[in-house]
Amino acid sequence: MREEIHRIQQAMEREGYVTDRAVATAVHLSMALGKPLLVEGHPGVGKTEIAKVLAVMQQGDLIRLQCYEGLDATTALYEWNYPKQLLHIRLQQEGDASVGAREADIFSERFLLKRPLLAAITHQGRPPVLLIDEVDRADEEFEAFLLEVLSDFQVTIPEVGTVRAAARPSVVLTSNRARDLSDALRRRCLYLWIDYPSLEKELRIVRTRIPGIDERLAREVTAFVHSLRRMKLAKVPGVAESLDWARALVALHATHLDEELVRETLGCFLKDEEDLRTVSAHLDAGELAALSSPVA
Amino acid sequence: MSAVAADLVEHTARFCRRLRAEGLSLGPADTLDATRALGSVDLMDREDVRLGLRAALVKRVEDVPLFEELFDSFWANPGPVARNPPVIPPDADEEPENPAAAPSRRRTVHAPRELEELAVPAPSSREALGRQDFASFGEDELRAVTALARRIARRLSARPGRRWKLSRRGEQVSLRRTLREALKTGGELSTLTYRRRKLRRTRLVILADVSGSMDLYARLLLQFLYALQNAFSRVETFVFATRLSRVTDELRAPGYRDALGNLSDRVQDWSGGTRIGESLATFVASWPRLVDRRTVVVVLSDGWETGDPEVLGAALALLHRRAGRLVWLNPLLGSPGYEPLTRGMQAALPHLDVFAPANDLESLEQLARHVSL
Repeated sequence: MREEIHRIQQAMEREGYVTDRAVATAVHLSMALGKPLLVEGHPGVGKTEIAKVLAVMQQGDLIRLQCYEGLDATTALYEWNYPKQLLHIRLQQEGDASVGAREADIFSERFLLKRPLLAAITHQGRPPVLLIDEVDRADEEFEAFLLEVLSDFQVTIPEVGTVRAAARPSVVLTSNRARDLSDALRRRCLYLWIDYPSLEKELRIVRTRIPGIDERLAREVTAFVHSLRRMKLAKVPGVAESLDWARALVALHATHLDEELVRETLGCFLKDEEDLRTVSAHLDAGELAALSSPVA
Repeated sequence: MSAVAADLVEHTARFCRRLRAEGLSLGPADTLDATRALGSVDLMDREDVRLGLRAALVKRVEDVPLFEELFDSFWANPGPVARNPPVIPPDADEEPENPAAAPSRRRTVHAPRELEELAVPAPSSREALGRQDFASFGEDELRAVTALARRIARRLSARPGRRWKLSRRGEQVSLRRTLREALKTGGELSTLTYRRRKLRRTRLVILADVSGSMDLYARLLLQFLYALQNAFSRVETFVFATRLSRVTDELRAPGYRDALGNLSDRVQDWSGGTRIGESLATFVASWPRLVDRRTVVVVLSDGWETGDPEVLGAALALLHRRAGRLVWLNPLLGSPGYEPLTRGMQAALPHLDVFAPANDLESLEQLARHVSL
């Protein structure tokens, strides 16, 4: 294994992110090739974490752009600070500056509200990590706009001019596959698919993230969640849900699972009423022991 | 890059070509990335090479199994690679210019073989159209269908979206513009500029089955397609039996009779066998820009699939991901006791947003409810 990849894996583990070679290799290549990394996977498998850990590793800032339907350039790139501009015009009213000078004044960087993309481009110091989260939730026009920004890391603001990134930020895009991303965007990125972790890996994640957890409890929780993933649920619990649940159980001073405890805490990892009913039915049938022991 | 020996570069390029021949969409830039990736991993470590190439060349998880398979066979011999290049069919280099003509994804690569095995009714000649009793359509019937098409068109018409554009009158003051205007008057807000929401336009794509098993409904269906195409501009219509044909322009005719004439000239496989999956796969591959989140895709078919239901499932899964809504109208669903048990329907069901009947005018009326996004 290339030493850098090994180092990345170690650094990630140090940051509490349990990882494997595929993840470490993709992150390494993304840095070495200077290409954005597109991470796809089910919700709650730790896609966003990659960017966070990357920022810590590179000792850079993390700049996050959360995507949603209808996201547009004014929320993603920049917006003028209108109230401040208005006030400024008022204050300057008595002065004898020309309209041109005043205009240049209020349309200067001081009055610019930098949204995440511009913030990442104009960032000073160590290159930041730009996390474009859930890009599949933004609409296609935005995706096209994003392509433009990602290809040369420069934006043109009519009033100010072209702003170019001093140091290219590392870019991580995540997608839950709510819709298919365009081939153009995919081609611009390196690709990483994160699946649900294996039982061993998830157990390791639980142990790492919740140091005080009882060994038996950790095993039962992971095995239970794995059993759930084999059922046909509307919202399949991810790793984030296993961790939430395990934390809740630790807070309740649990050392192992029992039926009552599971019933009381179902809401930690099931987020759909239909799913609650399905799992309750399994519990009614007395399947707790079967569900919480690892299947070969 | 200098670390990577020239023969390795060549070998990587060959590997990329091979992947491309199997349907992965890769360009020269990807080949370059792959070589650069190899320059950044440990070349003596097979796992490093595999993961590195995978990150650079695989762009979606569906392609991972194909990559793994090809990687194993292609890089089977880790010895002196240049002297022992795997055999590649010479024509793998020639990229088909026309993406429509290319076998799109790997699923369709084996299609020719399956074609031979299946007893597909020979595409009947265009005289088949004459046998249909199209001439006897009643004026009343056509009028009712036209009225229905208009209602559907209204549902599809533009509605306010989430984005903004400037306008003289509108719902909100555009601060950005107003402020710029105010500069002229020393900061006094004398003219207000407004902005309003951009209109959101829904598009309709209809994929209609005109194979033999649909004959019973063909008359209603054609009238419907014709009326809809002429009531609303953002409709694209395709028909298929064994092959897919775009008939949008043919249907845009001053009269129903003209449209029928155009259709019979254009569509050769009328009343033929049904290859829904392949037809939809063709649609997905040849018209990728037609479907986005603002598109409602309507498939009109009885689901009697003679092709591979897996191909159908895959095509629908893709459509479902891209489209705003995927609707399947099945004429058989209207008949009592019908259950969608055909293999085609079974493969299709998991990917549909709406599954509804379409055997008479009344049921088509229901479509109006499903088309607005």
